[in-house]
Amino acid sequence: MAGGLEPDLAALRRELSGPAALSVLLALIAVAVTFLIWRFVQGRRSSRKAVLLLGLCDAGKTLLFARLLSGRYRDTQTSITDSSATYRVSRDKSTSVTLIDLPGHESLRLQFLERFKAAARAIVFVVDSVAFQREVKDVAEFLYQVLVDGTILKNAPALLIACNKQDVTMAKSAKLIQQQLEKELNTLRVTRSAAPTSLDSSGGPAQLGKKGKDFDFSQLPMKVEFVECSARGSKGEEGDADLEGLEKWLVKVA
Amino acid sequence: LLTAPLPQERGGNNSFTHEALTLKYKLDNQFELVFVVGFQKILTLTYVDKLIDDVHKEFRDKYRNEFQQKGALGLLNGTFDFKDDFMRLLRDAEESSRVRAPTVMKTFEQSLKSQKTVKCMIETRGEKPKEKVKNKKNKGSKKEGTEAAAAPSKASGGDKQPSAAGDKEELTKDEILQKNREEFFRRHMKAGEKSRSPKPDAQKEKGKKPRVWDLGNSNAKVLDYSNSATNGSAEACPVEEFDPDMALGDKNREPGRLYDLEYESEDETEEEKVVQNTSKPSAKKGGLGGMFGMLKGLVGSKSLTREDMDPVLEKMKDHLIAKNVAAEIAVQLCESVAKKLEGKVMGTFTTVTSTVKQALQEALVQILQPQRRVDVLRDVMDAQRHRRPYVVTFCGVNGVGKSTNLAKISFWLIENGFSVLIAACDTFRAGAVEQLRTHTRRLNALHPPESHSGRTMVQLYEKGYGKDAAGIAMEAISYARNQGFDVVLVDTAGRMQDNAPLMTALAKLIAVNAPDLVLFVGEALVGNEAVDQLVKFNKALADHSMAQTPRLIDGIVLTKFDTIDDKVGAAISMTYITSKPIVFVGTGQTYCDLRSLNAKAVVTALMKA
Repeated sequence: MAGGLEPDLAALRRELSGPAALSVLLALIAVAVTFLIWRFVQGRRSSRKAVLLLGLCDAGKTLLFARLLSGRYRDTQTSITDSSATYRVSRDKSTSVTLIDLPGHESLRLQFLERFKAAARAIVFVVDSVAFQREVKDVAEFLYQVLVDGTILKNAPALLIACNKQDVTMAKSAKLIQQQLEKELNTLRVTRSAAPTSLDSSGGPAQLGKKGKDFDFSQLPMKVEFVECSARGSKGEEGDADLEGLEKWLVKVA
Repeated sequence: LLTAPLPQERGGNNSFTHEALTLKYKLDNQFELVFVVGFQKILTLTYVDKLIDDVHKEFRDKYRNEFQQKGALGLLNGTFDFKDDFMRLLRDAEESSRVRAPTVMKTFEQSLKSQKTVKCMIETRGEKPKEKVKNKKNKGSKKEGTEAAAAPSKASGGDKQPSAAGDKEELTKDEILQKNREEFFRRHMKAGEKSRSPKPDAQKEKGKKPRVWDLGNSNAKVLDYSNSATNGSAEACPVEEFDPDMALGDKNREPGRLYDLEYESEDETEEEKVVQNTSKPSAKKGGLGGMFGMLKGLVGSKSLTREDMDPVLEKMKDHLIAKNVAAEIAVQLCESVAKKLEGKVMGTFTTVTSTVKQALQEALVQILQPQRRVDVLRDVMDAQRHRRPYVVTFCGVNGVGKSTNLAKISFWLIENGFSVLIAACDTFRAGAVEQLRTHTRRLNALHPPESHSGRTMVQLYEKGYGKDAAGIAMEAISYARNQGFDVVLVDTAGRMQDNAPLMTALAKLIAVNAPDLVLFVGEALVGNEAVDQLVKFNKALADHSMAQTPRLIDGIVLTKFDTIDDKVGAAISMTYITSKPIVFVGTGQTYCDLRSLNAKAVVTALMKA
């Protein structure tokens, strides 16, 4: 077999020795380079095209997801797996983002976050404004876990804290929620950094915000905004949802 | 249903009871659907399984296109008008169950059934020669021989359809039995082999009926039989009795060696032979088909079936058990993973093994990151604000490291600026109070009052030995409240989970004092015992509390973690049973050996080969 190849190689070399050889080689190089560039660009673009919907259980993520995509109200159950779909951001522009709705259940949330955090261009953290007083510690804990995550600190995706369920009268306002969260996160970063180190002593949790000063959302490397919204809508199941702020922010982010 | 068993990997069972309803569910992993049927617990509806299967098939066929093409949008926008179909299926199922009912009551059928079960009993005995060998000694082997002889005779006598199908199996089993029997005899007896064969034939007639009823240890019966039987057996008996090899056992054996050891190796070889025999024909059949199947499985989308997953799951289960996970938990975990993966379509270039391993890894990480993380410092700060002490109780069996880890945790709390009161409620063990006093003195030496603005960081509250633990705890808590201590750590005596009066005493202590955190201290060396300990502790706490929602174990402290290198299965067993987090991990006997659990590291250690 080797003997058969040698005459072929010789023939090839003879053929290629002319100017044709140079053009063939150039063509090949051009193809390879464009291929690499295309792969690189696509990797960059598609690697961060997702908007994640995070939050505790019963915050309203799945309903928000349904409303943004179809505009209709659906009865939802506790999610046990993620759902993703492309969302056209606005009518004139053709940009679209992939909305990913992750389950909020405690045993599942971290696992799904791991899977999708690298692809996140923006994060929508949905907060139940009605049950906020009761759940403030859990909300802060989950938010803290999201914020100190290494990948998220590196990519610094835009963060929107959507205070959902504003149609109920007892809902807290976005300002109040912001203040409470800042206070809670302040205490959390002290307690978490003082916790016993991990088993394999992988570096302790990253420092959130500036030391010495009280925690403030402006200290984070990413842009954080607060917005009020209501997935159910003030008119009940038939009416439209109040998602103006959310949609405007999505347009900005895309 | 969605919040409890499915995410927590308890999905092995098909049904789930919640209050007055029983929910039976079925997972469709290909399209990620869950079908649930709920009915009242008191009703026993036989058609539910069939109904759920029919519904599943119809729904899937009807809306297959929508799922495949549109994904999530299809789910959202599609209107699933399934109500009429569902009512139709329900009516069919109800009718079919009603039709079936009268035929069961025929007595002729009963007798057929009884005949079949008897046959099944004999067949299954033939299939498990290793069990027989394990249970009986040499004399019992006679019974084997008679069994084997009885089975083919019955097969020849029986003329029903099931027997015809089973004939082939029985013959091969018989072959196996014969071979095993011969090996067995050859090893243990030098003579008397030939005399054995006429005996079984002679006894087969009489041996049929009573033998059916006793499935095990009936050596006495068999012996009786041989003594009173025909001449052939009588003369063979004494030869057997006085056979020196038989009486003394194998001459090659050393005098001090345990009989069990040899027994087991023999079992294993028998087992291997059986396995080889049964696997050889199947291997021959599957030779060529297997190669193409492997290639097909490598490329293209193949959906996972139970048979594909079973060998891999078996291996995984054994691997987990070797890593010190409790046996029943390993079984349940594998079941749940199997249910989750059944019918799932694999991507290209993924093998069954890798898919199963991936799923198992995810399941394990999920188990180790259970509900709310217990953040002690946060809760202590809360209690500080309300001006009351934060009470932590340590319970566990004897010798797991409660007092040692209590000292470590109090050191950690002092480092973070909280003052600690240690309540010595172990009034039983000699030296318990002195041990805690020594720790207190040492901790105060490490953190003298001068460096903490003049207040002693640790103090011991003790009332000596022999007093009631619950009373001491209550006094300690009120003392802490008066003196302004931030945390109270209550040390209890170690007790076995089976010891009813001690468990009652512990439950009383916890019910009366209502601690903020009940920590169960367990050592990482424990194996299957962990399941029993935790279940019984939780049960005792639940039974003896008067409240509506009893205080159960809130967290686990896993101690002696440095003694196991990578057999970390105890962590999984404990969190699976209680679904509560592991709050601390103890890795040594000095004050700094306190760690928190890193779920991913533990799972990697567990899955490592």
